Amino acid sequence: MIEIRNLYKAFNNLPVLNNVSTIFQKGNTNLIIGQSGSGKTVFMKCLVGLHEPDEGGIYYDNLNFTKLSSRERSQVRKKIGMLFQGSALFDSLNVEENVIFPLEMFNKDMTKKEKLERAHFCLDRVNIHNANHLYPAEISGGMKKRVAIARAIANKPEYLFCDEPNSGLDPATAIVIDNLIREITKEFEITTVINTHDMNSVMEIGDHVVFLYKGELWWEGTSEQILTSGNKEVEEFVYASELMRKLKTN
Amino acid sequence: MILFIKLFKESALFAWGSVVSNKLRTLLTLLGITIGIFAIISVFSVVDALERQIRTSISSLGDNVIYIQKWPWEFSQDFAWWKYMNRPSPRPSELDEIFRRTNILESAVFTASTNRTVEYFNRSIEQVNILSVSQDYDKVRSFEIDAGRFISLTESGSGRNVAVIGSKIASQLFENDNPIGNIIKIFGRNIEVIGVFAPEGDDTFGNNHDEMIVLPLNFVNSFIDVSSDRYGPVILAKGKENFSNDELTDELRGVMRSIRKIKPAAEDDFALNQTSLLSRQFDGLFAILKIAGWIIGGFSILVGGFGIANIMFVSVKERTTIIGIQKALGAKNFFILIQFLSEAVLLSLMGGSIGLLLVFGGTFIASQLFDMDLLIQMKNVLLGVNVSVIIGLVAGFIPAWSAAHLNPVDAIRANT
Repeated sequence: MIEIRNLYKAFNNLPVLNNVSTIFQKGNTNLIIGQSGSGKTVFMKCLVGLHEPDEGGIYYDNLNFTKLSSRERSQVRKKIGMLFQGSALFDSLNVEENVIFPLEMFNKDMTKKEKLERAHFCLDRVNIHNANHLYPAEISGGMKKRVAIARAIANKPEYLFCDEPNSGLDPATAIVIDNLIREITKEFEITTVINTHDMNSVMEIGDHVVFLYKGELWWEGTSEQILTSGNKEVEEFVYASELMRKLKTN
Repeated sequence: MILFIKLFKESALFAWGSVVSNKLRTLLTLLGITIGIFAIISVFSVVDALERQIRTSISSLGDNVIYIQKWPWEFSQDFAWWKYMNRPSPRPSELDEIFRRTNILESAVFTASTNRTVEYFNRSIEQVNILSVSQDYDKVRSFEIDAGRFISLTESGSGRNVAVIGSKIASQLFENDNPIGNIIKIFGRNIEVIGVFAPEGDDTFGNNHDEMIVLPLNFVNSFIDVSSDRYGPVILAKGKENFSNDELTDELRGVMRSIRKIKPAAEDDFALNQTSLLSRQFDGLFAILKIAGWIIGGFSILVGGFGIANIMFVSVKERTTIIGIQKALGAKNFFILIQFLSEAVLLSLMGGSIGLLLVFGGTFIASQLFDMDLLIQMKNVLLGVNVSVIIGLVAGFIPAWSAAHLNPVDAIRANT
């Protein structure tokens, strides 16, 4: 569980996040949504410690992350998996080696065999078979994303942060990836936080949806509740597309 | 470790990609290192070849031989040449006294030299170096006889008109004939050839027997004054085994002073020279040449180092995102630092290797064109490689350090 209390962050005295408080529950897919410039990215970066909040606290299972020393933070970071926008695989490493990378960095006490077994397990879990020795340039965008997920869960993370996980993917593959993230979240009891603006993802896997508007937490609820939020700004965001408007009318 | 090698490979591939895509930029970057390594290693190789040649020549004079002469080989800045002018030259009689009075002397020889025309029937050679030697010359100087024999004790003592001639003299004078037993004419006198020296090859000081004729001192002394300054008289003294040159010098100094009856407070009127004096003088010359090589190459390397630092800063800038991802996935600062340092070293090594290849090519061509014994020694190759590595490390450190300490937010920003 990650609890955010009264988070405040400003750049050049301009508040980007203002008094944001919420709880991301374990085993849930928590989605941060909002328009461009709403503060989603800064919020996500504050959560993983890439930005220091000016005020407020971020509690990883009751441990205030903002007050930890860099050594203590690194212990928490070991429990964090990250899925970057655009997969961000290392081109010179093959699929298997990409997955082993965080194990090499964080698990000095694991044997080579154990690391290999773990990598194979993660790749199997994301349905990558017989492609362990292929290089990123040799696999499709959807496969790259799945390898990136395997890499993100290699260290058995307790928390998983995904930044625009299905950007650049076709709708069908995007749904596969969304569902994969949700399955993994449930199966391994991970606290997953996803930064997205894709309404398909919201509707598909949004156990808990946080809507940011001008740096403030404007609304939060489930994917079902978001359709009937009654909040003007949320509805503008949700029904921005013609498809969603037609669905609403029907 | 394998992963590190793979990531190093990524660095290397990136560096290679940079080389291929920015040929001119890379060429200009590496040019400084290439020229620097080329300058240093070529100077060192030439100096080594020169040094090898000179040291071989010096050692042919005899490492453990003391030369008793009028003039010293080593001069100081306040050299009072007029004092040396008035010194007496060594005399053959002094050689006998030296033999009589010393204890640690193994052998000694008196030599005097001059240039004369040598004739054999209608053939003649002008300005041949004629060396007159007392007995035991073969015990002090090392040489080999190709045909015939060296001057015997009896011939030396009785001053017989015999000669041992150099290989070049033999081939010029006798062509295909056998010189042994034939009569040549020097000083207007008939002299029988009894031996031919084995070829020795070129020598820096011209100190070989190839173009020389050796005659018994007692023979020559019967018609010229071998003690005269114009014949460069020298007594060569060789100490017994287990006695150092210093011990022999000390004893010879005492003996010579007593022979010449020099008062205790008076200065020596002779010089005791040894080959180490020559070596010492050349040591200084070689050191200066090497420093010159460092200075010439050093400036190029300095410029090359700045070039590498510049290209590395560009590399860090271009790979900011990948650095951020690596850090986010747990890569430590040291890991990033090593990656970029490796890349800088790789670039520097490329420049250095091109420089070394140029030296290889240059020495090969110079050896062929000028008949020089130019070889690139392994120590010089290692020096070139080490200098390249050090320059790579120094030039790449600040860019690598800045990459390793990049703020992850800045590093990942390009990706989010």
